[in-house]
Amino acid sequence: MAAAPYRGRRMVAALVLLSGFALILFRLFNLQILQAAELTVKADRQHRKAVSVQGPRGSIYDRHGKVLAINMEVPSVFGVPASLDDPSGVARDLSPVLRVRAGEIEKKLKQERSFVWIARKLDPEQGRRLERMPLGGIGVVMEGQRFYPKGPLLSHVLGFAGMDSQGLEGIERRYDPSLRGEKQMVVLQRDALGRTVFPKGLHEQAPSAGHNVILTIDEVIQYIAEKELEEAVTATRAKGGIVIVMEPRTGAILAMAVNPRFDPNTVQAISADRWRNRALTDTYEPGSTMKIFVAAAALEEKVMEPETLVYGENGRMVVAKTVIHDHDKLGWMTFAQVIQRSSNIGSVKTAMALGAERLYRWLRAFGFGERTEIDLPGEVAGLIKEPRDWERRSLASIAIGQEIGVTALQLVTAVAAIANGGWLMKPYTVSEIRDEKGRVVVQVSPQVRRQPISPESVHTLSKILEGVVTHGTGSKAAVPGYRVAGKTGTAQKIDPKTGAYSSHLSVGSFVGYVPAEDPRLAIVVVIDEPQTEAWGGVVAAPVFRRVAEQALQHLGISSQEPVKLAMTTSSEMARP
Amino acid sequence: MKTLIVIAAMGLLLLYVWERVEIVRVGYQIERLKVKKVALERERDELQVKLSALTSPERIARVATEKLGLAPPQRGQVILVNVKPEAPAHGEPAMPDVKLARNEPVGKVP
Repeated sequence: MAAAPYRGRRMVAALVLLSGFALILFRLFNLQILQAAELTVKADRQHRKAVSVQGPRGSIYDRHGKVLAINMEVPSVFGVPASLDDPSGVARDLSPVLRVRAGEIEKKLKQERSFVWIARKLDPEQGRRLERMPLGGIGVVMEGQRFYPKGPLLSHVLGFAGMDSQGLEGIERRYDPSLRGEKQMVVLQRDALGRTVFPKGLHEQAPSAGHNVILTIDEVIQYIAEKELEEAVTATRAKGGIVIVMEPRTGAILAMAVNPRFDPNTVQAISADRWRNRALTDTYEPGSTMKIFVAAAALEEKVMEPETLVYGENGRMVVAKTVIHDHDKLGWMTFAQVIQRSSNIGSVKTAMALGAERLYRWLRAFGFGERTEIDLPGEVAGLIKEPRDWERRSLASIAIGQEIGVTALQLVTAVAAIANGGWLMKPYTVSEIRDEKGRVVVQVSPQVRRQPISPESVHTLSKILEGVVTHGTGSKAAVPGYRVAGKTGTAQKIDPKTGAYSSHLSVGSFVGYVPAEDPRLAIVVVIDEPQTEAWGGVVAAPVFRRVAEQALQHLGISSQEPVKLAMTTSSEMARP
Repeated sequence: MKTLIVIAAMGLLLLYVWERVEIVRVGYQIERLKVKKVALERERDELQVKLSALTSPERIARVATEKLGLAPPQRGQVILVNVKPEAPAHGEPAMPDVKLARNEPVGKVP
């Protein structure tokens, strides 16, 4: 048999193979059955990685969908000092990209730590350059960064978000629960190389993004208000100022400018004092603008009529052993003229005719001494004492806007109530909240708080306030082609050193609305501590005019007056 | 008969293995697409930030006045024509306000 000599060999081969398989089977049995439980846990630990993921923060838009705040992923660089062989070499390579001195980076990399941030929140271009550099022990992660692409525009209203995307001021703070992205633990499966693998059997769902917030603010009107305010503050060398533009019919805020401004992109470098939205966190003594509400009360209570004659005492009157002055020696004048010429004495007499209780009730009715409940954080109620706490001079003082603290927002809200026929509205800055797919989550509608005054009295008062601009102290607020109603205010400030009214520190203001016959804009202008001139009619009224003029044009509100057309030359007209 | 069963079993086994391999392959593909999506979204956000920074009214005003020598329209240069909405001709929609601008140089133009 020729096969015989091979039989032994075949047996050996078979034996070797069999024992090999047996070994494998044994190992398999060992791994898959005996150690199965323990190893599964081990493997899972290596394959799966649980990470906390947060959906991106929602954006903030103006009323026309212009982006005012948006999130963007930007690179941050970290180092693992333990796995670096040549820290100084790596530092030299990183230095030009990060624009940080090599020495500083090296110092960080030589620390006895397992993880160290080298630079956080760089710009995307730097990230792309880093990705192209093969550096061991250095890693790049993406972090969400808040951007305010318009810089300082609307900064006091927008506020800002912190390093960890939490809203800290303004809209960012008030609407943080809506803006904030959903936080979720996500289990990722990784393969042997550490790449993420599609997880089997797991429903994968990314955490949803935060909601988008749409404001009532009009970016262009906001810009106009900020620009004109800035110019006025510079020209009068004032400490600062406020402009608020409101839609009287709804209470929607179209613009809210606070000067000096700040850039929310570089907020770390700015003191907290600059962030405050002083339009609603700070009160001031309004001065003569208060006369509007004294007049409103007098008209509604039928204490005065526009033609009622009031004697001006030739500009000097003694009340509670103190002297009240007028800027002019005024004699007999009508009640309308009291307001139009801003007579302190006439206003004090009106308040006396009303009496303390009624005056107080009326000022409260117009919202002074209580929050307007605007949807922004930090609002104060202002200060108005109850009549039982008044001193002998208080009635007279309050009649001319002293001994009372109001916010610019309260003032414009109250004036808007006169503009819209008597409805005190709740001011608001957010009109809509939408989810990431654009579906409306919250729709804000205008809210009436109350109707403090009848349409008839409003009509009469509005005529008087138009007179302030046509032939009174507010002539510089006149907008050609439109009827403007409003009131100037000049208030002395209390000198913090002496506790008495200062002779050189003042607040000049103008508050009014336009067009008077169908008001579309209520505007307040407050100039704080102007150095060149104190009068509200001089420092604030022109700002009102310039803001109103441009805003009316932007909104396409046409003039009611006939316009003379100056024709251009025929050659120019003929051109196609 | 037996061979047929064996072949069918082998076929099923192969199908199963192929399916598993395919799941992994598509899984990786999905991951790659996700990475791409994230990159594209990032680019979109970056462009949006750029766009809104470039269209900020402050910048537009600066470019218009400093680079292009434009000036804001002066009084009387823009005339809003108010077409009374109460007289729509035969159910036609009312005309919106029309802006007319006159050509008239204002100030000095570089």
